[in-house]
Amino acid sequence: MILKALLFLFAAFSPLLFIGFINKTKAWWAGRKGASVVQPYYDFTRLLRKGEVISKTTSFVFRCAPSVNIAAAFFALLFIPMPLIGSIVSFPGDVILFAYTLAAAKFLLVLAALDTGSSFEGMGASREVTFSTLIEMAFFIVLGTLALLTNQISFEAIFAMLTVSAGYSLLVKILLVASLFIMLLTEGSRVPVDDPATHLELTMIHEVMILDYSGPDLAFMVYAAAMKMMLIALLIANLCVPPYVSSITATVLFLGVLIVLSVAVGAVESFIARSRMSHVPQFIFLMTALSLTAFAVVAFFLRGGLS
Amino acid sequence: MRSVLIGAALFSLGGLSALFVKEKFKSILFILFAALAQVCILPGVIQVLLSGGYLEMQLSFSEPIGVSFVRLDPLAALFALIISLGSFLAAVYSHGYMKMYSGESAELSSYFFFLGLMSSSMLLVVLVQNALLFLIVWELMSLASFFLVNYEHKKEDVRKASIYYLVAMQIGAAFLLAAFGWSSALTGSLDFNSFQSVVSSTGAYSVFIFILFFLGFGTKAGFVPLHTWLPKAHPAAPTGVSALMSGVMIKTGIYGILRILLLTGTPDVRLAYGVLIISIITGIYGIANAIAQTDLKKLLAFSSIENIGIIGMGIGVGMLGLVYNNPLITSLGFLGALLHTVNHFIFKSVLFYGAGIVYSQTHTRNIEKLGGLNNSLPLTSMMVLMSSLAISGVPILNGFVSEFAIYIGIAKSFSIDSIAVNIAALMGLSGLALIGAMALLCFTRLYGICFLGTPRSHVHSPSEEKIYSLLLPMAFLVVPMILIGIVPMLAISLVTSTVGLFLPGASTIVWLEIVSLMTTVSTSLAVFVLFIVFFLAVRKFLLRNKSVQVFKTWDCGYQQESSRVQYTGSSFAQPILQLVAELVPQKIQVHKDQVLFPVHASFESHAQDVSERVFIQPAVRLLNKFLNKFSWIQSGRMQQYILYGLLFLVALLLWIWSGK
Repeated sequence: MILKALLFLFAAFSPLLFIGFINKTKAWWAGRKGASVVQPYYDFTRLLRKGEVISKTTSFVFRCAPSVNIAAAFFALLFIPMPLIGSIVSFPGDVILFAYTLAAAKFLLVLAALDTGSSFEGMGASREVTFSTLIEMAFFIVLGTLALLTNQISFEAIFAMLTVSAGYSLLVKILLVASLFIMLLTEGSRVPVDDPATHLELTMIHEVMILDYSGPDLAFMVYAAAMKMMLIALLIANLCVPPYVSSITATVLFLGVLIVLSVAVGAVESFIARSRMSHVPQFIFLMTALSLTAFAVVAFFLRGGLS
Repeated sequence: MRSVLIGAALFSLGGLSALFVKEKFKSILFILFAALAQVCILPGVIQVLLSGGYLEMQLSFSEPIGVSFVRLDPLAALFALIISLGSFLAAVYSHGYMKMYSGESAELSSYFFFLGLMSSSMLLVVLVQNALLFLIVWELMSLASFFLVNYEHKKEDVRKASIYYLVAMQIGAAFLLAAFGWSSALTGSLDFNSFQSVVSSTGAYSVFIFILFFLGFGTKAGFVPLHTWLPKAHPAAPTGVSALMSGVMIKTGIYGILRILLLTGTPDVRLAYGVLIISIITGIYGIANAIAQTDLKKLLAFSSIENIGIIGMGIGVGMLGLVYNNPLITSLGFLGALLHTVNHFIFKSVLFYGAGIVYSQTHTRNIEKLGGLNNSLPLTSMMVLMSSLAISGVPILNGFVSEFAIYIGIAKSFSIDSIAVNIAALMGLSGLALIGAMALLCFTRLYGICFLGTPRSHVHSPSEEKIYSLLLPMAFLVVPMILIGIVPMLAISLVTSTVGLFLPGASTIVWLEIVSLMTTVSTSLAVFVLFIVFFLAVRKFLLRNKSVQVFKTWDCGYQQESSRVQYTGSSFAQPILQLVAELVPQKIQVHKDQVLFPVHASFESHAQDVSERVFIQPAVRLLNKFLNKFSWIQSGRMQQYILYGLLFLVALLLWIWSGK
């Protein structure tokens, strides 16, 4: 019980570590020594201790948004199965509540950006909702594929059933992992969709939306964004780790997958330049295409073609 | 049953008696009658909804209607509930809103008269069981609402819109006339129950008759491509009426489709796919166009089309469940559709009422001119925010509950061993996700642009918000919006018996499964609320003795502040509209001075309703071409008309002579 609680706490507090690993990877590829992997935690706690500067045009929406965002991120974590503990909350259809919780957070994030009346933040908000519209559809195709493959509609049951399927499931898993990786990059606001390290407001998406935040509110926003990335990374880990291995092995494999993912994100960031804004939808449509292919493969093998 | 009928009559009586009193008292008298009507109607309705039985009364008319029943079964009761409440709220809202038109005594008289007539006829539409009676009250409803849409008849665009509306309604009614006529020709009866033999899948022409019914009712409901009247009629009508039309009247179309489905039994599988696919198209088309609108009420009208699409998806899923004999999918589909009907009534009415307040205070409906209304209209802003969240399906508000039911219904159909169903399910799943995400975009835009930030132009600044007759109807609806969101069982127990009508045989086990699922969802939503409260408290704790400065928005070093640099609604929507440019074409006009130092420049963009161009206008052209062939009959020459008279007399004489 205590072990499980510790494990969950670790998952709940690891998102910044994920960011730390990404930054370390980037530094390494660039030939720098780079900051320590726990540097994001120092930044986070420093922000928590600070006061705030709030724009005079803003309303309660602006003040509530960070708290709702971080609450939604933690709430969504309850649905994700993890080795040893499984999902904290699981019921048929939790996949939909998962997606809609994140959408609720996004609603307030976008409103908060518009609340400042800044043209830059409006710009970021506009891009954020556009891209997440496309992502949302592709993500539901992923969910549909998993539902068709396993006959289940809760994360825990889906990943527990992934073992029973036949040989083609490897292909399906690869396709789904690839499409979730695209989602990870997009929702996490990473290259090639967005550049977290850019210095020009005009080119930002996520960073520009939180320009006016400071102190604890900014800390919440940063944490929520990191957690969102972590959530998708955990989904990928669930796809990669087969359900029949022992819990201890699974835990180790999980950590391995997470580290590989953070290195992969860092590597993508080191080698690829950010796309032009008008090319980003094409990148996201790649996720739609991959997940549709996965669906077609499952439908073909499971239902024996068009009959 | 008698009291329900009396209640229905009371609305008309209220409208009638409002004719004879002074301008000041018209609305108050009407509200009084409407309130009395609630007392008569609601007990019967609630009793039927909770018990699952029905009330009926036999009425005798002269031929050709003859003896006929009015019946309040759970399906009728559910719609009667929203009609009755919606009409009452519209009456209250009109009290405050119509003050804008004070001094127009004659117009106000007709307003309340037709409002009463419309409410009564809507109630009768769901009660009568006879085809001929149905068509009469259906027409009455369309005509009454036509006069309401035409309220500001001195404006040319209002006249145009209302005529357009009237024609659209007549086309819909023509489909219904054909469908009812065909059915009664096959059965020799006008009673709904006797139509069972022709619309059930064993009937020879059942598919065609169903399609006719769907076209007729679909025109009222606003399925694409029969929706074109909505974005014209809604902005033209006074806001109380737009809310009533969008929240309530278009649902009579949904009622009609459901009523026919009850008679159909197991539908044809092609129809199930057809309804599902049309609904997905309707949803996506509606919300894509809503995103492009700058007129507040037009935006809401398109969003109504989107929500009709969502309701239709629920119906389609329910039909698929019936075809594959799966009670769980059936009940989830119809549950979602019915819940969404109620939910849409709730949040769309609030949104329209809010838009009305914005219009009455600022005298503009153009969102590009608004901004920062949060400061001047805090209560309206709060309630519009709630309903924007609800309509986007955000958890802990009611919109999520109905969409969730439809999602689960769709997701469960992945277990049906048919690749066609699976593909349809994937289309439904991703379609609903796309609609949901675009609704999020649409309503962050609506709320963010109108209510947040700073005013974008010097519009008439809001003076006083606290007009209680405008705010109370909104507040009245916001309460169930939150309650249903957190405790879905409240609404589900209201629609239980209605959903039960669609299930052949008992299905308690299925229902228990749904109830337990919804209870789990409700508990986890409570956890979500706790999380939010927790983090708000943490924030408060962290900031307890820190400095919180208020300063201007970060402007990237640019010192010339201007509210016009804010992102506008059009620029906010531009990236997504570029992606769906085929669906929502923009008409762009740019004017530039062709000189070295241009001073004046202007840019205009308007979204166009592509389906009107593709479907409606060619049809109208074709019809005109055909009808023009007969134009020689109306030549305008007196001699020709005298000749007609003569020919008629000769024919008459011949007929009499041959008769002898």
